[in-house]
Amino acid sequence: MTAARRLHAELHLLDRQVIHSGDGRLVCKVDDLELATGSDGRPYVTAILAGPLALGPRVGGVLGRLMVAVTEMLRPEEHPGPRRIPMALVSDIGSALVIGGRPLEMALERWARRTVIDPIPGSGHAAPGASAHLPEAAPPGAARLSPLLRLRVTDAEGQEVGQVADVGLRQDGPLLAGVQHALRIDGFIVVPRHTGRLFGYERGPGGYGPGPVRAIVRLLHRGSRFVGWEQVGDLTGDGIRLSVPERDLEPFVFGRAKTGEGRSAPLGSGGGKESGGGKESGGGKESGGGKDS
Amino acid sequence: MKKVFAVTLGVLTAFGGFVDIGDLVANALVGSRFGMSLAWVVVVGVVGICLFAEMSGRIAAVSGRPVFDLVRERLGPRTGLVNLVASFFINVLTLAAEIGGAALALELATGVNYLLWVPGVALVAWLVMWRVKFTTMERVFGLAGLALIVFAVALWQLGPDWAELGRQLTNPPPDEGAPTYWYYAIALLGGAMTPYEVFFFSSGGVEEHWSRRDLAVERANVLVGFPLGGFLSLAIAGCAATVFLPVQAQVDTLSQMLLPAGLGAGQIGLVLVIFGVFAATFGATLETALSSGYTISQYFGWQWGKFVRPRQAARFHAVVLAGVIVATALILTTIDPIKVTEYSLVFSAAALPLTYLPVLMIANDPDYMGQKVNGRFSNALGTVYMVLLVVVAAAAIPLMIATKAGQ
Amino acid sequence: MRRIPVCLSLTLLLSGCVSPAWDDHDYALKAAASAEAAASGVEMARLAVRDGDRLMSPYVKTLLTEVSEDLSGIAGQFGGVQPPSRASDEVREELLELLSQAEDDVDGLLIELRRAGIARPAQAAARLEEIAGRLRATGERLR
Repeated sequence: MTAARRLHAELHLLDRQVIHSGDGRLVCKVDDLELATGSDGRPYVTAILAGPLALGPRVGGVLGRLMVAVTEMLRPEEHPGPRRIPMALVSDIGSALVIGGRPLEMALERWARRTVIDPIPGSGHAAPGASAHLPEAAPPGAARLSPLLRLRVTDAEGQEVGQVADVGLRQDGPLLAGVQHALRIDGFIVVPRHTGRLFGYERGPGGYGPGPVRAIVRLLHRGSRFVGWEQVGDLTGDGIRLSVPERDLEPFVFGRAKTGEGRSAPLGSGGGKESGGGKESGGGKESGGGKDS
Repeated sequence: MKKVFAVTLGVLTAFGGFVDIGDLVANALVGSRFGMSLAWVVVVGVVGICLFAEMSGRIAAVSGRPVFDLVRERLGPRTGLVNLVASFFINVLTLAAEIGGAALALELATGVNYLLWVPGVALVAWLVMWRVKFTTMERVFGLAGLALIVFAVALWQLGPDWAELGRQLTNPPPDEGAPTYWYYAIALLGGAMTPYEVFFFSSGGVEEHWSRRDLAVERANVLVGFPLGGFLSLAIAGCAATVFLPVQAQVDTLSQMLLPAGLGAGQIGLVLVIFGVFAATFGATLETALSSGYTISQYFGWQWGKFVRPRQAARFHAVVLAGVIVATALILTTIDPIKVTEYSLVFSAAALPLTYLPVLMIANDPDYMGQKVNGRFSNALGTVYMVLLVVVAAAAIPLMIATKAGQ
Repeated sequence: MRRIPVCLSLTLLLSGCVSPAWDDHDYALKAAASAEAAASGVEMARLAVRDGDRLMSPYVKTLLTEVSEDLSGIAGQFGGVQPPSRASDEVREELLELLSQAEDDVDGLLIELRRAGIARPAQAAARLEEIAGRLRATGERLR
């Protein structure tokens, strides 16, 4: 058995392009991820969320609110939600996420086609477009992943530890649609200051170049910790309260593990680490080539 | 012959950076005021754009992801949006200027006021983007713009004092102040490295279905296109330094910057050069209009590109159409197209790091690139340029205000 | 990046307008700048007229029209600045005289060009050269 695949939510999933496996069509961006809580209380990723209703809250500010308000006004439902793409449809995670299933279409695309593009001669044949079904509603109790990022972390004694820079995911969650394991939250990378993104320089071995950029990013995030899920006492919208004091936290060692791993894998350490990383980068390379069709 | 055509994407892209309407006049203006003393900036710009265009093209070929995908993926939705708003604003301003520039070229050829040509130019440009295949488009306008080589011929014919031009390389004229000198250095560098070049180049690579096998073609595009653009830009500055510097005449308009070509290469030269200016500005019109569609679509994850039918990329084509309409309206207000690009160049210089930093980061990420990550040389040079771009970005707007935009 | 429109309007304001002259020295500097800008335009016209037979006439027409518009713009702007003292009045008169002479010459050439082409390009060029020289000299003297 090989180690379960590890990913960092912000680095590997959020804001990546989603393409369709059939014709390589560009579907949307991963604007956010939907979480459900498993039987053991651990959240896992159930769906990709896309569209202004998912992106707006992440952008924040006036523009983000405007994005949400305009979309809610134009949508027919009472409480519209963002488009959902179940994670079970995702067949590959690389430089883009490849999905199968029925291609779904965003409302704005349909509107632009009907009112602007179709009336102009030469817009192409009326291909059997994707059906105009409304997005299915989110299941009750669903949460989103993005609010976890930048969340404040305090330890068992109430002392401030820092903020969440990225969320570690591990593919050992419950089976999704009976085909693949869900990505389950494994822990958090906690940075002591408001220094924002890690830009992927948390990975190794040795980290990626150029050296000076890597050095600056790592210097900004020095003193980072890795908080395993088992060390999380209480997770609310206001912050994460740990069940252990700060001194018991493992330091986050930059670039120790191969790809997308924050710390050495407890499962089959050694060989397992290699295969886990290889699986990931191997899948990523060719996925973009799907555009050729 | 096929090999010759294979590099037209690089050539067309480079026109947008080095010989679009703003740069044509900026190069001549710089030549007429500073002689060849700013030539080094063009060389720095050529090396920089080659470096980053090569990275972005390589990323596009290996992973299929164009530049604005990378900007949002690495910088996140908020910083990405800041870059999007800035880039889109600059793009539409530049698009307006290019439409105006193509119309000015037609005015010089016919004597009919350029405002009458503006709607026609905009309509034809939009039709080209709506109907013509990407490869045909880049070949026709990439090759037609090569008529600008007449500037090099004209420089030869003018018989300049080469030793004097050489001396100017290291000696800026004493009567120009240092802030003005650096203001124009930034404007030239900003022009050479405008972000819409990499947006267009990498998206063009995806439009042409580049894959790992096409890395040689991609490099050839970079190494032919951008140095050619830089060469033309130096030839224009050389012509202006020869004709205008001795009589202390300053170039402000397109017609004035063409004068040395006419004096050096005669009637036929002038006709060819006007044709070349039209082709280059029209090519830059296409480049900026498509770039505005590319950036927005790639930020939001929409289907984009001319490799699918318009109705399959409805939002992309709607954005391009809207961009062309807004830009046309803007230029019809009789705003001076050349002034417009001069300002947009400096503003784009202020936004440069937001585009090139994610490119540099992802060119090193094996998740995207596999074995094709940057080598030591690209990384060392890339780091030096990042420092340079940060300095330029910080200095651009203060210098603009301090020198009253180079007066 | 919301600052961009503000900056743009600010720079347009800074570059486009003529501020009032505070004293004689300031006024002289403004006069010098105007004279040099005008000299530059006249030189352009001279170069185009000298080799006019080798250039297309729509091109020369466009170029001369631009120069003429430039000159009247410069004269208008400079004329609009209030001279701070009597000493500056002289400067004002001298330069405005030169500017209008330059504009008249270019306009005259434009009329010739529209009719049947410039009859004696060499002479016209020499005249323009002389005016440009005087403008430059004025500019240098005042600086």
